[in-house]
Amino acid sequence: MTVALLGGITLQLIHPQVLARFIDVAVADATADALLNLALMYIGVALGEQVLRVVSVYAASSVGWTATNALRADLAAHCMSLDLAFHKTRTPGELIERVDGDVTTLSRFFSQFIIIILGNGLLLVGVVIALFFVHPLAGVGGLVFTVAALLLMLRLRNIAVPYFRDYRQQAADFYGFAGEQLTGREDINANGAHGFFLRRLFEINQAWMLVYHKARLASTTLWASTDATFALGSVLALTIGALLFQGDLISIGMVFLIFNYFSQLARPITQIREEIELFQQADASIQRIRELLDTESRLDAGGETRIPDGAFALVFDKVSFHYDDPDSDEERDWALRDIDFELPAGETLGLLGRTGSGKSTTARLLLRLYDPQRGEIRLNNVPLRESPLTDLRQRVGLVTQDVQIFEASVRDNITFFDDRIPDRQVIEAFALLGLTSWFETLPNGLDTPLGSDGRGLSAGEAQLVAFARVFLKQPGLIILDEASSRLDPLTERLIEQAVDRLLEGRTGIIIAHRLATVQRTDRIMVLENGHVVEYGKRAELAQTPDSRFSALLRAGQMDLLA
Amino acid sequence: METEQKEKDSQRLQLILDLMRFRGQLHAVDAFLWLFIMGLPAVPGLIVREFFNILTADATLGWNVYSVLGLWIALVTVNVGVIFAGRHTKTQHRFAISALVRRNMLDALMQRPAAEPLQNQNGQVTNVGEVISYLRDDGRQIEDQLQFLPELNGIGVFAVFSFIILLTVNWQVTVFIFIPLLVIVGVVQWTWNRIQKLRHDGRQATQKVTGFIGEMFSTVQAIQVAGATESVLRHFRAANDLRRKTMVRDELFSAILGAVFRNIVTIGTGIMLLLLALRADLTLTVGDFALFVYFLGFIGEFLAFFGLFMAFIRQTDVAFDRLTSLAPERQPRFLTESKPMYFNTLLWQRVDLPPIEQPQRDPVKQLNLLEVNDLTYLHPDSGRGVKDTNFTLRRGELLVITGSIGSGKTTLLRTLQGMLTPQSGTIRWNGQIVKDPKVFFVPPRSAFVPQVPMLFSDTLRNNILLGLGRDDETVLNAIYTAVFDQDVRDFPAGLDTQVGSRGTRLSGGQVQRTAAARMLVRRPDLLIFDDLSSALDVVTEGQLWARIFENKEGWRPACLVVSHRPALLRRADQIIVMGDGQVRAQGRLDELLAHNAEIQHIWGQDQNAE
Repeated sequence: MTVALLGGITLQLIHPQVLARFIDVAVADATADALLNLALMYIGVALGEQVLRVVSVYAASSVGWTATNALRADLAAHCMSLDLAFHKTRTPGELIERVDGDVTTLSRFFSQFIIIILGNGLLLVGVVIALFFVHPLAGVGGLVFTVAALLLMLRLRNIAVPYFRDYRQQAADFYGFAGEQLTGREDINANGAHGFFLRRLFEINQAWMLVYHKARLASTTLWASTDATFALGSVLALTIGALLFQGDLISIGMVFLIFNYFSQLARPITQIREEIELFQQADASIQRIRELLDTESRLDAGGETRIPDGAFALVFDKVSFHYDDPDSDEERDWALRDIDFELPAGETLGLLGRTGSGKSTTARLLLRLYDPQRGEIRLNNVPLRESPLTDLRQRVGLVTQDVQIFEASVRDNITFFDDRIPDRQVIEAFALLGLTSWFETLPNGLDTPLGSDGRGLSAGEAQLVAFARVFLKQPGLIILDEASSRLDPLTERLIEQAVDRLLEGRTGIIIAHRLATVQRTDRIMVLENGHVVEYGKRAELAQTPDSRFSALLRAGQMDLLA
Repeated sequence: METEQKEKDSQRLQLILDLMRFRGQLHAVDAFLWLFIMGLPAVPGLIVREFFNILTADATLGWNVYSVLGLWIALVTVNVGVIFAGRHTKTQHRFAISALVRRNMLDALMQRPAAEPLQNQNGQVTNVGEVISYLRDDGRQIEDQLQFLPELNGIGVFAVFSFIILLTVNWQVTVFIFIPLLVIVGVVQWTWNRIQKLRHDGRQATQKVTGFIGEMFSTVQAIQVAGATESVLRHFRAANDLRRKTMVRDELFSAILGAVFRNIVTIGTGIMLLLLALRADLTLTVGDFALFVYFLGFIGEFLAFFGLFMAFIRQTDVAFDRLTSLAPERQPRFLTESKPMYFNTLLWQRVDLPPIEQPQRDPVKQLNLLEVNDLTYLHPDSGRGVKDTNFTLRRGELLVITGSIGSGKTTLLRTLQGMLTPQSGTIRWNGQIVKDPKVFFVPPRSAFVPQVPMLFSDTLRNNILLGLGRDDETVLNAIYTAVFDQDVRDFPAGLDTQVGSRGTRLSGGQVQRTAAARMLVRRPDLLIFDDLSSALDVVTEGQLWARIFENKEGWRPACLVVSHRPALLRRADQIIVMGDGQVRAQGRLDELLAHNAEIQHIWGQDQNAE
C-alpha cells in the first residue's frame, strides 16, 4: 500500500513536467520524435498512476472491512453481554443501526483516511518543493497558499460533527420505529392503527430532515471555502507567473508549469477536505460507538470459582429483589422478599403462585439476569456471583413458556449456531429425550427452517426444541416454566416424557400449571406477592389438611393458583 | 433475453421518471443550480487561454492580465453562492426521494396479509432486520441515482460547451474525442452483468449481517440464558467475513472500472496532444494549447463520470429489483408513487400534519349476522391450517373455539381477518359478501387481541389509543373493563408510563390486558380474542369477561374467542371444537359433553375433582 502510495505521488509530480516540456519543445519547433516520446511518456505516467490507484483501493478496502468487521463483532459481543435492563430500552432495529450503520460510516475512514491524508500531505509537500525548483517566488507562493488553505480547513473541521451525531441518532430512531412497526403488523392491522404510524413517520421525517439539513449546511461551508480558496490559488499562480514572465525570469512553459502545479495543489486539498468531511461523520459515529461501549452491564462477569459438577444443591439465603432501580436498596415494591429455602441436590421443586407472585423472577435470579439487592443465592455452596457468568449460564438450563426461535434451521436453533456440535449429537439428544418419532416428522430433518414467529411449530413443539437446547448443555440445574396453554395429548405425552429424562440426576424447579406435573415433584413452594407462603415436602403438604397445597388438590384446579 | 432487458430498461426509466416528477419543481431548480456548480469550473478555461494569449501577445480582446484575473475572482464569488444554494436544494431533494421510497415500501409491507411472512426476491423468508437493510441501503442507492442525473447533466452541458469551443479552435483534432467515448460505452456494455452480480452479492451479504443482528437482539434473552453468546458471535463473524469478501470484490471492480475509464480518457488526451503537435501546418498559440489541456480534462472528467453513471444505473436496477420484490403482488411503480409527505419547507418551517383518520361508524352495517362458509387456508410449507370451516355468529353472541394446540384455532382467526389470505370459502357480514377481509375486519367493525400482543415504544396511553381520538376517561374505562385498572393505578406515571421496546417493562399479563384495553376502547361490533389464558390467571380472566358482558352502556358486541376456560365454555352460546384444521364438533356445552370425547377430555382435566 505504501509503495502504491509513494509511486502514485511521484507520478503525479512528473505529470505536469511532461506537459511543460511538451509546450516548450513544441514552441521551439522540435522534431516529431521528441514530441512522440513525450506523448508516450505522458500516457505511460497516466497508466501507472491508475494501476497504483486500483492497488491502493484494493488494499484500503480490505483493511477497512477487516477493521470494521472486528469492530462490529466487538460491539455485538459487548451488547450481548449487557443485561436485560439495557435491551429492554433498545429495539433490535436501533441496535442494527448502531452495530452496523455507525460502523459502516467508519469503514471508509478506517481504510482510507490515514492513507489519503498522508498521501495527499506528501503530495502537497512534493508540489511545493517542485515549485521552489521552478522559481523561489513560485515556491513561496505555493507554500503560503497551502498553509493558508490547510489552516482554514482545520478551523472548520469540527463544524458539522454535532449535527451528524444528531443525524445518526435520528436514523437509528427511524429504523427502530420501522422494525417495531413491521414486527407488530398483526396488532396494527387489527386495530386499524395505520394512521397513527403514518403520523409518527411524518414526525420522524420532519425531525430527521431538519438535522440532515443542518449537518449538510455545516459541511457545505467547508466545501465552498475550499473551492474558493482553490480558485484564488490559481489566480495567485497566474499572477506570479505573469510577474516572472514579464520580468523575463522564466519561459512561457514554466508559467504553464506553475499554473499546473497550483492546480495540482487543488486535488489533494479537495481530497483532504472530503476526508475531513467524512471524518466529521465518522467522528459522530465514533462518539456513539464509544458511548455504547461505555455502557456497562449492571452484572459483573462473576468470580473464578467453578461450581462443582453433579446435580446442584440450591440455597436461597434471605434473598430480596426489586426491578425499579437494581442498584439501590431503598424500600420499594419488592418483587421478592426474604426468600429463604434450601433444595437438596437431585430433588425437584414445584413452584406455584398467581401471575406476578414472583415465580419468573426467581428463575431470572438463578440465571443472574439480575442480581438480588439483598441476600445471596448459592449452588453447591458457591455464591452465584463468584461463579463465572458464562459458566453459570452454561450449567443452569431454563426452558421458558414462550421459547424464542431464530429464523434459522432446527439445527441452528438447537446448537445456537455452534457448528462444532455434530449432527449426531443433536439427533442423540432427541433420542435420549424420547423425541425421535417427533424429529422424524420434520420435513427436512435438522435442515427444516423455523420462523422467528414460531412458524411451522406449535408452542408445545417449540418447547421440545428448547428441551433439546438445554439437554445439550448437560446442566446441573433445570428450571422449567411449563406451558400453560392446552397441549394436544400427543405433544403433552412427549413433553412429560422429555421432562422426566431431562430431570434425571439433576436438580429441577418447575413452574407448574398442571396437576400431573406437580405430582412428580419432591417439594412444593407457594409464592404470593413475592413472599413464600408455603414450603415443604409435597407428600407432607398433601396430607396437611389446612395447607394451601392440599386445598388445591381438593379443588383440582391448578388455574386457581398458577 | 433482449426483450427482457428492454422491458427492464423501460421499467427503470418509468420509476426514475416518477421520482423526478415527485417534487418536480424542486428537482428542476436543483438541476439548474447544479448546472452551474458542475459547469462554472469550465469558464476559467477561457480565462486561462486569454491569459496566456496576452502573455504571448496573441490576444485579440484587448484585456490585460490583471483584469482577466479580476474576472476570475468575481466568478469565484458567484460560485460560492451557487454552491450554498445548490447544496441546500440537494439536501431537501435527497431526503425527499429516499423518504418517499421508504414510506412506500413500508406502506406496501404493512398492507400485506399480516400473518404471512415477509419474503424476498428468492421467495425466502425475510426477517425484520433484513428488511431494514433493504430500506436503508437500497433506498440510499435510489436516492444517489436521482442525484447523479443533475450532476451528469451539469457536467454534460459544459462538456458540450467545451467541445464546441474546441471545435472552433481545431475541428479535425477535436472529433477524436469520440473515440474514448465509444470505448467507455463499450466497456460498460461488456461488464454490464458483472457489475450487477457483484452488487447483488454485496447487498445479499449485507442483508444477512443486518438480519442476523436483528435476530441476535430479538432473542438476546434466550442466547444469554443459554450461555451461547460465543457460538452466536462466531456465526456473526462468519457472516461479516462473507460480507467483507463480496464488498471488497464490488469495490475493487468499481475502482478498476473507474481506472479504466480514466485511462481511456488520458490515452485519448495523449493521442490528441500528439496529433496537435504533429500537425506542422497548425498554428496554435500557447493559450490555445492551455485551453485544450484544460477543456480536455473537463471533457475527460465528463466521460469518466458518464461511464460510472452507466455502471451506477445497473446497480440501481439491483436496488429497484430488491425493493419491489418484497411486495410481489404489486406493480413495481408502487415504490415511486407520489404521496403527501409533509416535509418541512425549504426554509425549515414545519408543516402541520393532518389529523389521524378516525374509523367511521355506519349504523346500517352494524353487525347482526356473520356467516362463514367453507373457509380454507393451508400453510404452503407445512400443509397445516384450517379446512372448510363453517359457522355463524350473531350480535351479542359468544362463540368459543377450543381444541388442542396445532388444531388450527389461531389460523382460523387470522384467516377470517385476512391476515392470511383465504384460499377458498366466503365470509358474509349481514348477508353481504366480504371481498377483502384484510381491509374489512378493522374497527369499528372488529378488533383483535393476538396470543402474544405487541406493544410499541411509546406511552401506555398511545399504545392503547394508537391514534384513536378519545379522552382519558374513555381510556380509563377501557382499562377498567380489561381489569388493568389496579395495575395502572400503581404506575407512578399512570397513562404516561413509557412502555419500553417490545413492551417488556410490563409483565406478560399486563401486556395482554393493555392489548385488551386497546381493543375495548374501540368499541367494535366484533371482539376477537386469541387465548388470554396463557398470561392471565383464572380470577382475572373471569373478571374481564364479566366486565365485558355486563357493561352498562348497552354495547353488545359479538365475541369470537379461542379459550379452554371452563367458565367461558359454560357461558358460550356456541362452541367449536377444532382438530387437525377441521371443525370436529359444534354446539352448546351440554350437547357437546354428551357425545364429544375431545371436549370431555378438556372439560375433565379441569373438572376432575368436582
